[in-house]
Amino acid sequence: MSDDLGDKSNERRGFLKRVAAVSGALPFTGGLASGVAVASLTAARPAAAAEGAAQVNAVVGYNSLSPDEAAFVETLVNIMCPADEYTPSGVDCGLAIYIDRQLAGSFGKGAGRYLRGPWPQGKPQHGYQLPLTPEQHFKAGVAAAGQACQTKFGKSFDQISGADANTFLREVAGGKVSDPELNLASWFNELVYPLFTQACFADPIYGGNHGKVFWKLIGYPGLPAVHSQNMTAFRGKPFPGALDPKSIQDFS
Amino acid sequence: MATKLPKRNVVFIGGGLTAALAARQLTAKGVEVLVLERGGDLRESAAAKIPSQRDELRWGVQNRLAQDWAVETYTLRHSPAEVSLPVRRMEAFLPGEGMGGAANHWNGQTWRWAEYDPVLRTRLENRYGKKAIPAGMPLQDWGLTYAELEPYHDLFERLFGIAGKAGNIKGEIQPGGNPFEAPRSREYPQPPLEITEAGEIFAAAAQRLGYKAFPMAAGNSPHAYTNPDGMKLAPCQYCGHCERFLCEANAKASPEVLLYPMLLERPGFELRLFSHVLAIDYDRKAKRATGVRYLDLQTGEEHEQPADVVVVAAFPMTSTKLLLLGRIGEPYDPRTGKGVVGRNFCYQVMSHTPAFYKDRSINPFMAAGASQTVVDEFNGDNFDHSGLGFFGGGYIYSNVTNGRPIGSRLVPAGTPRWGTKWKQANADWYAHAFNYSVHGSNYPHRDNYLDLDPDYRDAYGQPLVRMTYNFKDNDYRMSEYCTKKAHEIALASGATLVSPPQPRRGDFDPGIYQTTHVTGGTIMGADPKTSVVSPHLQHWDAENLFVVGASVYPHNSGYNPTGPLAALALRLGDDLLDYSGRPRRL
Repeated sequence: MSDDLGDKSNERRGFLKRVAAVSGALPFTGGLASGVAVASLTAARPAAAAEGAAQVNAVVGYNSLSPDEAAFVETLVNIMCPADEYTPSGVDCGLAIYIDRQLAGSFGKGAGRYLRGPWPQGKPQHGYQLPLTPEQHFKAGVAAAGQACQTKFGKSFDQISGADANTFLREVAGGKVSDPELNLASWFNELVYPLFTQACFADPIYGGNHGKVFWKLIGYPGLPAVHSQNMTAFRGKPFPGALDPKSIQDFS
Repeated sequence: MATKLPKRNVVFIGGGLTAALAARQLTAKGVEVLVLERGGDLRESAAAKIPSQRDELRWGVQNRLAQDWAVETYTLRHSPAEVSLPVRRMEAFLPGEGMGGAANHWNGQTWRWAEYDPVLRTRLENRYGKKAIPAGMPLQDWGLTYAELEPYHDLFERLFGIAGKAGNIKGEIQPGGNPFEAPRSREYPQPPLEITEAGEIFAAAAQRLGYKAFPMAAGNSPHAYTNPDGMKLAPCQYCGHCERFLCEANAKASPEVLLYPMLLERPGFELRLFSHVLAIDYDRKAKRATGVRYLDLQTGEEHEQPADVVVVAAFPMTSTKLLLLGRIGEPYDPRTGKGVVGRNFCYQVMSHTPAFYKDRSINPFMAAGASQTVVDEFNGDNFDHSGLGFFGGGYIYSNVTNGRPIGSRLVPAGTPRWGTKWKQANADWYAHAFNYSVHGSNYPHRDNYLDLDPDYRDAYGQPLVRMTYNFKDNDYRMSEYCTKKAHEIALASGATLVSPPQPRRGDFDPGIYQTTHVTGGTIMGADPKTSVVSPHLQHWDAENLFVVGASVYPHNSGYNPTGPLAALALRLGDDLLDYSGRPRRL
């Protein structure tokens, strides 16, 4: 199923430009730029990142998120991953697509999670104890955080300034934004934040980390990771393979 | 209605490492063995093949090789006075499913425990006085000695091609090895793995402080290796996908590589996959196990499998559960300290100190699960505990097992959690940092135990196991002390930045992975009043029922549990041979 974004998509595109302007980077346009020369990646890191920046995520359309939820998530990933000298914006890195696909898939439906009652709430160490699936929990949190933002700023999360949105997320993470029903700090720290870091660093096959941009950023070489010779040849030395990581797709 | 099947000789519950090792001894001498395993055979699955094997999200984060918590989890309360809640998604430890069990997704870190571990209570009383051990710490001797296990340690190391450097051969301390090692009969069958950059930094710093660093003994094979059974390991690729993963290179010594393929060829060995054991049938009057009941997950049928001998060889939680469900042995009661099933449940106490090196390439992605460099000065009773206020300790090591980027990125304290500065810190430090970790012991406490939860049930309608468990003062003090030692080594290493020591603090949190080393629940000992099984692992209340696995450990040391676990399993195989020829109390 594809997501009909309607008029809202224009608002969001406007937003993306604002975020890009705030962070001093240009908005990224153009689809997948293929064939980045390996040699060019041996240049200094900012140049390598700029090459990666040319490859922006071309996947659009959501399986789980509604237009309003998508606006929230796109704003969130662009705040947490602004376009800068290191990577394109969160949306252009595919981070919103990653989160959407996880919510729509088995993770979002609660795979591997014990779902029998009763449902009393316990100590923090008992962790998440709600009958909501992760997808439902994620969306309930988006609605609650969105409402809190509306109350505080008189605008939706995707309409406030980038600086305000960043501060707002920090307050949510720090437990300073309350909701009558949901614990928003837990929602952010135990559900949203792990999805964000996974979106950045998981294999691109899941929709995030587009163009392996985060692997290039940190120097993770990815597959095939056959290092028996490298162990001695590159012990204590920069590993050249880290400049040109390979992913599951490259071996499929 | 359960279908009654033809009687079998020895039936194992759980197709993991211990069942395979014991079955090796039995089937070699013609004793018929049936192993019931709840999972499947994963050798040709996506978990074992390139490229899907290298998928961190799937195996390393979502833990798809571990027990499915939707089907069965455990409940937790921190003390007997609290109400338990289910751990809805367990992260703290990872029982396995499938042929080979949790030993398929292990890191390969292989230890013999200290010579004094099987007689720990006696050792501490002799060294610190009869009253030194606190009343709430029910340490007990195992009823056997390290010397009895040594030949089985030796055999296991040959079977698994363990790579290491001996520290003590027949009492002679060996340069380059662990000077605290229990005496071994000979050198390891393979030389150590390559030392990592982190290991070199660690060893130099340790030497500056007067400690003896050595390479950890590894189940990751540095070379092609053929074991005494003719089973083969390929050379390790240092790919950094060991723990939580199957090895696609057949280089990690595991039951699914070295044991089950051989056993499946042997006459008299049968493995029934997708067989979830529901109960041990117990004849209370005769004090005998008559067989087991299991659900065939592929047909939905329940079967009754009669047996001459039943061996419980599951993960500690499951082994304890089956004895409690069958009411075999008296359940432990923390109020009176009486009863045995469920007592001395222990875990482990880990801590980490990250250090950062601007000009050194650590390259954490080039590593094996056990390619670490270690010091053992502060483990167990390797140091004088007089006046310290705790017992136990841990080994300290350069903790580089992998560089998988979702889970293994270190950034300096104070780094923002997102944004440009967060990216910059990741770019700066990912390949230039590692943890100085403490792999710490966890001695038993009177209030830490397992029983059946009164409220929560699994997908088959059976009660969940309830953990009543928390870290105790002994653990916090041990962690404080040993983490400070690790921090001192990091400070002596010439690091650009060293994070402050982070000893284990706060209540046990099942959302935080430490190790998969939970122990106890069906402990061994010489006294039926304080143990479930005898030193021969024979149940005190059923002569033909045996229990093997980490559930028989009366305490958890600062070492990884696999070595003694394997030695006990091989010894059990020989004991069962003896028993099958002449059934009796061993």
